[in-house]
Amino acid sequence: MTAALAALLIPLFTALGLLLLRSRSGPLVILTSLATLAAACWALVEVTTSGPQSLHLGDWPEPLAIRFQLQPITALLLVFTALIHLLVAVYAARSRHCRTRDTDYWPLSCLLQGSLNALWLSSDLFNWYVTLELLGLAAVALVALSGRKAYGPALNYLLLSLGASLVYLLGVALIYGRYGVLDITLLATQTEADQSTRVAFWLMTLGLMLKAALWPLHLWLPKAHASAPTAVSALLSALVVKGPLFILWRLWSEAAPVELAIETGPLLAIAGVAALLLGGWSALRTPWLKSLVAYSTVAQLGYALMALGLLMHWQLPALDAALWLFVLAHGLAKASMFLAAGELQATLGSKRVSALRGTTETMPVAMFAFAVAGGSLIGLPPSGGFLAKWMLLEPMLGQSEHWPWVAGILLGTLISAGYVFRVVALAFDRADPVPPDFKPDRFAHWLAMLPALVVWGLALVSQPLIAWLTGATP
Amino acid sequence: MTQVLFYLILGVALWVLGLHGLIRLHQPIRRIISVNIMGSGVFMVMVALARRSEDPDPVMHALVVTGLVVAISATAFALRLAVTGQRSEEDRE
Repeated sequence: MTAALAALLIPLFTALGLLLLRSRSGPLVILTSLATLAAACWALVEVTTSGPQSLHLGDWPEPLAIRFQLQPITALLLVFTALIHLLVAVYAARSRHCRTRDTDYWPLSCLLQGSLNALWLSSDLFNWYVTLELLGLAAVALVALSGRKAYGPALNYLLLSLGASLVYLLGVALIYGRYGVLDITLLATQTEADQSTRVAFWLMTLGLMLKAALWPLHLWLPKAHASAPTAVSALLSALVVKGPLFILWRLWSEAAPVELAIETGPLLAIAGVAALLLGGWSALRTPWLKSLVAYSTVAQLGYALMALGLLMHWQLPALDAALWLFVLAHGLAKASMFLAAGELQATLGSKRVSALRGTTETMPVAMFAFAVAGGSLIGLPPSGGFLAKWMLLEPMLGQSEHWPWVAGILLGTLISAGYVFRVVALAFDRADPVPPDFKPDRFAHWLAMLPALVVWGLALVSQPLIAWLTGATP
Repeated sequence: MTQVLFYLILGVALWVLGLHGLIRLHQPIRRIISVNIMGSGVFMVMVALARRSEDPDPVMHALVVTGLVVAISATAFALRLAVTGQRSEEDRE
């Protein structure tokens, strides 16, 4: 537990230190980010060898206590967060185009990591509200870094995020009024499927869906993610939207009464399919490169939502592993895609997709990173995206009554392929390439490639990874 | 009990009003006010729920205080964004 606490406290104190000392030192953040990664890895080793642990902050007794809980999946998410944060920090410090050097990016990104780690470790409803607010405020401030033109989308993001928190909070208030507990483990033993519990769970779900930009509450995401600086877009798409998703998963798989979960599951799964199709369609149509990547986040979250909905409806723990594989694979692929897209558009001096004509010739590494990450989003074997999709499809293929869901997934895959190949095909049109405005930044391009290679590397360790994830999720 | 019920209904009504404003209005300041009305509604529900027994529930009050702190800092941030955003738009015109 000490290691997990260190993973939470190191970024927090780094952020506070930077603010107090009025320093905006990138290398320092990279160093502390390395330390956080080490602490998170240690926590992962600890939890694998000696099982889940929990800690009562300030040694208060059970109903009053704020409890931190370290489960295998929590530890994995800590490592994942630290990895992405480190990678993006290196990019933000080194890239010529990122425009985050010596800005408030450094303390804010550390705060973001700290609040996200607190979210993974928390296990009571109100603590999640507080961490969600911290996460939201840090994320909005990061979006606003790209200057005044981003203030509009940032404000819209902030207001919707606040509204969503209050919808969630009303649900929490109803739960507390009904059962008198906030801790999720205590709640799990008490919940009954009555009217007030149903309303409370639906309110919490709606609030979290808006925060995670799950269809149909996703409209704020493309603008906010596309107008942020590149490093921030990568953090937002890879990490921030996964926080509320984690809470949603814990709520429904641990605390909710089974009847209620079975009843609500199909609704979420249908919303997931709709996200896949409509988000994908918007990604096919948009003229802007970063919007395309942002809409693909909306679409890909559809898979996760679908896995969650079906998991609730069929009460199939096997889908837990599929859900978390999606989260990991999507996080890595999306970090890669946003970094590549940001580099491409900054070097070309245009935000349009059409400016990418002939980029395989002018910037082969960045374009290759984009295509490789896209391959995992489509689910081409043997990538992490393929593994996740296979885990999701496997329990369905055996029974013919589940085939409509299979059709939904396959159609979604087709659309994903459509928007990835839309970019790749244009990039291979070498007859009349758009000349870049600047000399390409090789190092940044290879940095964008790194997570894409990791996501394909997941396939090499697929067997132990799936076994571990199946054992790790309760 | 009827008094508690009265405040509960009032709280929910405020929450719905605020949500409606957040969705339907466009001016930034009005939307910020809407979010605050929504917040007051939730806090009123929480305080009313705490008052159900003879001695009020301290946990609920602690939650409301935490919620107020979050709401105030978020509102300050939102106002700053709204005012600066508006000014830059005026500059452009």
